Amino acid sequence: MSKNDDNKPISAKKFMQELRRYEKGSVTRRHFLGVTGLGTAMAVMGTAVPSLWSGKANAFGEVGDRLVFSTWPNYWNQVNLDEFTEMTGVQIQINAFGSNEEMLAKLQAGGTGWDVFVPTNYTISNYVELDLIQELDLSRIPNYQASAHNPKFADPATVDGKVYCVPKNWGTTGFIVNSKEVKSGPKSWKDFFDVTMGAASGHSIVHDYQLTTIGGALCALGYSFNSVDAKELGEAEALLIKAKPHLFAITSDYQPGMRSGDAWLSICWNGDGTQLKNDMPEMEYVIASDGGEIWSDFYAIPKDAPHQEAAYAFLNYMQDPYVQARDAAVHGYAPTDARAIALQPDSLGSDPILHPALDLMNGLEFGAAQTLTDPIRAEVMARFKSA
Amino acid sequence: MTMRIYAIAVFLFLYVPIGIIVLFSFNAGRHASELRGLSVQWYGKALSNAFVGDAFFTSLTIALSVAVLSSLMGTTAALALQRMKGKMRVLFDGLIYVSVMVPGIVIGIATLVALVTVFDFLNPLLAALWPEGIKPPKLSMGYASVIAAHTLFTMSLVIILVRARIAGMDRALIEASMDLYATPWRTFYQVTLPQIYPAILAGFLLSFTFSFDDFIISFFVAGANTTLPIYIFASIRRGITPEVNAIGTMVLAASLFLLMATQFLLRNKKNRGTSE
Amino acid sequence: MKEDSQSNRWLTAALLAPTSLWFLVMLIFPLIVILVFSFGERAAVGGYAGGFTFEQYANLPSRLKAFQNTMIIAPAGTLLCLLVAYPLAYFLAVKVSRQYKLILLVLVIVPFWTSLLVRTYAWIFILGGRGIPTLLEFIGFEGVRLINTQGAVLVGIVYGYLPLMVFPLFVSLEKLDKTLLEASSDLGGSPFKTFLQVTLPLSMPGIATGCMLVFILLMGEFLIPAFLGGGKVFFIGNALVDLFLQSRNWPFGAAVSVTLVAIMLITVSLYMRLTMGGKSGRDQSLM
Repeated sequence: MSKNDDNKPISAKKFMQELRRYEKGSVTRRHFLGVTGLGTAMAVMGTAVPSLWSGKANAFGEVGDRLVFSTWPNYWNQVNLDEFTEMTGVQIQINAFGSNEEMLAKLQAGGTGWDVFVPTNYTISNYVELDLIQELDLSRIPNYQASAHNPKFADPATVDGKVYCVPKNWGTTGFIVNSKEVKSGPKSWKDFFDVTMGAASGHSIVHDYQLTTIGGALCALGYSFNSVDAKELGEAEALLIKAKPHLFAITSDYQPGMRSGDAWLSICWNGDGTQLKNDMPEMEYVIASDGGEIWSDFYAIPKDAPHQEAAYAFLNYMQDPYVQARDAAVHGYAPTDARAIALQPDSLGSDPILHPALDLMNGLEFGAAQTLTDPIRAEVMARFKSA
Repeated sequence: MTMRIYAIAVFLFLYVPIGIIVLFSFNAGRHASELRGLSVQWYGKALSNAFVGDAFFTSLTIALSVAVLSSLMGTTAALALQRMKGKMRVLFDGLIYVSVMVPGIVIGIATLVALVTVFDFLNPLLAALWPEGIKPPKLSMGYASVIAAHTLFTMSLVIILVRARIAGMDRALIEASMDLYATPWRTFYQVTLPQIYPAILAGFLLSFTFSFDDFIISFFVAGANTTLPIYIFASIRRGITPEVNAIGTMVLAASLFLLMATQFLLRNKKNRGTSE
Repeated sequence: MKEDSQSNRWLTAALLAPTSLWFLVMLIFPLIVILVFSFGERAAVGGYAGGFTFEQYANLPSRLKAFQNTMIIAPAGTLLCLLVAYPLAYFLAVKVSRQYKLILLVLVIVPFWTSLLVRTYAWIFILGGRGIPTLLEFIGFEGVRLINTQGAVLVGIVYGYLPLMVFPLFVSLEKLDKTLLEASSDLGGSPFKTFLQVTLPLSMPGIATGCMLVFILLMGEFLIPAFLGGGKVFFIGNALVDLFLQSRNWPFGAAVSVTLVAIMLITVSLYMRLTMGGKSGRDQSLM
C-alpha cells in the first residue's frame, strides 16, 4: 500500500496549506479530500482493505464501535481521530497519562480496557517480559513499512526477533524557558536548577515521573541520565528536595501552567516546546548541554485489548504517511517514518526544535529499561514528592 | 443585618465557581480557560459522544444498584440489630463503625489488592477445571467490584440512619399492635415501616449521591469500566475542553429538576392529605 | 414461648446474613490482605512478593511529611469549615422566616450535586494566574501566587465540604428552643453570653457530627490536594496513589494504609469519647 509512490497528488507545502484550511474549518472535508488526493487514496485503500473502509456499514460485526486509546497529553490531532471515526464508525476515547510508570501500574493491575496505548522505547522490553503486550500481526497493518522508519528509533519495537509495536514519533526532553521572565538564558540542567532556586523561585515545573526529573537532576550533578547508582541517586534526591520549595508544581501536564504565566520554566518535551512557541514566541526550548533524553514512542496493543479489530484498523490508519504528517502538524513531534517526513512542510522539517543539529544531541541518552523498574529510582521520586 | 451580608457572601462563595462552570459550558472556543463567544456546541458534542453516554449509564447503573442494595440490607440489618444484645451486637457495632471510618482510598486500594490476588489464584484454576472447548470465564474487576465496594460504606450509613429513627420511634405503637394480635409481619408493614420510611429514603438518596459522585474507590476497582467521575478526571488530565463543563452543568440541572419534582410531589401529597 | 424465641433468632440471623457477608468479604478480608501485604517485600518489577519483614514499617518516616500535612490540614480544614458554616447555619435556622428556610437550605446543598471534580477544577481557574491574581494586579498587588499552595488546598476543602458541615449544624440549631433564647435575654444576658451559655452548648451534637464527617473524609482526601496543590501539597491519599500507581510498591502502600487506618481509629475513638461518651451518642454522631 505505498500509494504515495504511484501518485504523489500535491506538493507537501500545498498539502499543509490545505490541511490548515481544513482544520480552521474554512474548507469542507470533501474539498480537502479532493484537493489533496486523499479521497483517491482512500478509494484505493478501500478496494485493498475492504473490511476496513466498508467498516461503517457493518461496523458492529467487523471493527466494533469503540476504541480506548491511552496516550500522552497534547499528542494527537483531533482531525485524524474524527476522520477515523467517520470512516469506520469507531468512536475513540482518549486517556492521557502522565508517565510510563502509571501506564505500567494500570496494565499490571489488569483489566484496563485499553485497545491501543503509547509506550516509550525503554518500557517495551519490560512489557514483553511481563507478558502485557501482544506480538503484532504485521499483515494486518499494511500501511506499516518497516524500511521507512529510522532504525535508531524503531529498533526497540523488536524484542527477540518479534515485533510488538509500530513507531509513532521521536523527540528530545529538555526544558522550556519563558525568556520574558527569565533573562539569564539557562543552557544546562545545572542552570535549570540554579535558576529554579534563584531568579525563578516559585515558577518552575518538573515532571511527575522518575525518568526525566531524576534524570535532569543527575545530569546537573554531572552523572548519567540513566544512573541507578545508589550514591548518585542519593545526591540527585538531595538536589530535588532542596529545589522543591522553589517549584511551582510537579506535573507532567505543564502546558497550562506555562501558558497562564504561572510558570516560567519547565522540563519539556520538544514537541510541546514547538506548541508553546507557536502561540507564545517568548518561549525557548533548550536541549541541555549537560545531557538529557532522546526517545521514541510507539503504538502497542495490550494483551487483553477488548476491541482488537478496531485496534488494528487504528494502527493501520495511523501508519498512513498522510495521517502521520497531519498528526505531526498539530503536536510538532517528528515522525520516524521517512514517507511522512517527506510530506511535512519545510518549516517543520527544518525546525531546529524538532530536528536539532546532531552535535546538540551527542550528550543525549535513550532511557534505559532498568530505570522503569528500578526500586531506588521509584522510591527517590516518591520521597521527593512527599518531602 | 451583618448576618444577612455574611450569608450572601457565603452563597456567593458557593455559587461563583458554579456560575463559572455553567458560563464556560457555553464557550465557543476549544479551551476551557478562555471565553470566545457563546455557543451550545459542547452540549451537542457531549451528548453525541458515546463514551459520555457509556460513562453516564455506568454511573447510573452502579449508583442505583448501590442505593437499592444498601437500603435493603441496611434496613434489614438495622431491624435485626435492634433485637440483638451482647457480644454479637458489640461486634456488629464495631464493624459498622470501622466501615464508616476507613477512608475511601484505603477501601479502594485494599479491595483492588485483595481481588487481584484472589483472581490471579482462581483464574488458572477455573481454566483448568473448565470443560475443554468452552472458553473458561475470566474473573476481573468491573461493575460487581465497584458496587460491592461502594455498598460497604453506604450500607453502614443506612444502618445508622434507620437505627437512629427506630430509637426515636414510639414503642407503644408496636406493643399495641402486638396486643391486638397482629402478626409480626403485619406489625412491621403497618406500624414500623411507615415510621422508619423517611430514614430509608434519606439513606437511599445519600447512597445514590455518594456512589454517583465517588471517584477514588471507582478509580481503583472499576477495571475497564469508566464511570462519569473517571471520565471527567481523564478529561481534565488530557487538557480540559468545555465539554466537561457541559456535562457538569447537565448533571446539576438534572439533579435540580429531580429535587424540584420530588418537592412538588411531596407538597401535592401533603396538600391532599390535609384537605381530606 | 421457647419456639418463638427460636424462630426469632433464625429471623434475626437471616436478616443479618447479607450484611455479615458484606462485612466479611468487602471489609475484613481486604483489610487482612493489606495487613499481610504490609509485611511483604516489593517484587523486582513492582507489585508484591511474599516474605515477612518490618522493613515497610521502618520506612514510614520517609512519608512523615505526608502524614504531617494530612494531620495538620485535615483538622485545620475541618475547623475552618466549622467557622464558615456555623454563622450560616445559625442564620438559616434561627433568623430566616419559615417560607425561605427550606429553599435556602436546598441552595446550600445543591453544589454538592455537581461533581466534586468539576467544582474543584473551577478553583484551578479562579486561583490560577488568570484568575484572582490578575484581578489583584489591577489594584496594584503584583506577583501574588495562590494556586499550588496550602491556602489553595484549604479553600478547596472549605468549598467542597461546606454543605456537609452546614447540614448537621442546621439540624441541631433548628431544634433549639427559641423560648430559651428569649428567656436568657429577658434575664439580662448579653447576646454574646446567651450564645456562649445557651446556643453553643445546645448545638454541640451538630458541631460534633459535622466535624467528624468532614474530618473522616479529609483524612483520605486525594483530589483536592492533587488539583489545587500541584503535586506540592501532599496528603497521605496522594502518597498512596503514588505508591500504587507510580512506584508500584504494594507492600509499602499496604503499610501506609494500615497506619492510616490505625490513626483514624485512634483519633476518632478519642474524639468520640471526648465529645459524647455514651453509646447513644455514637449513632447520632455518625448521622
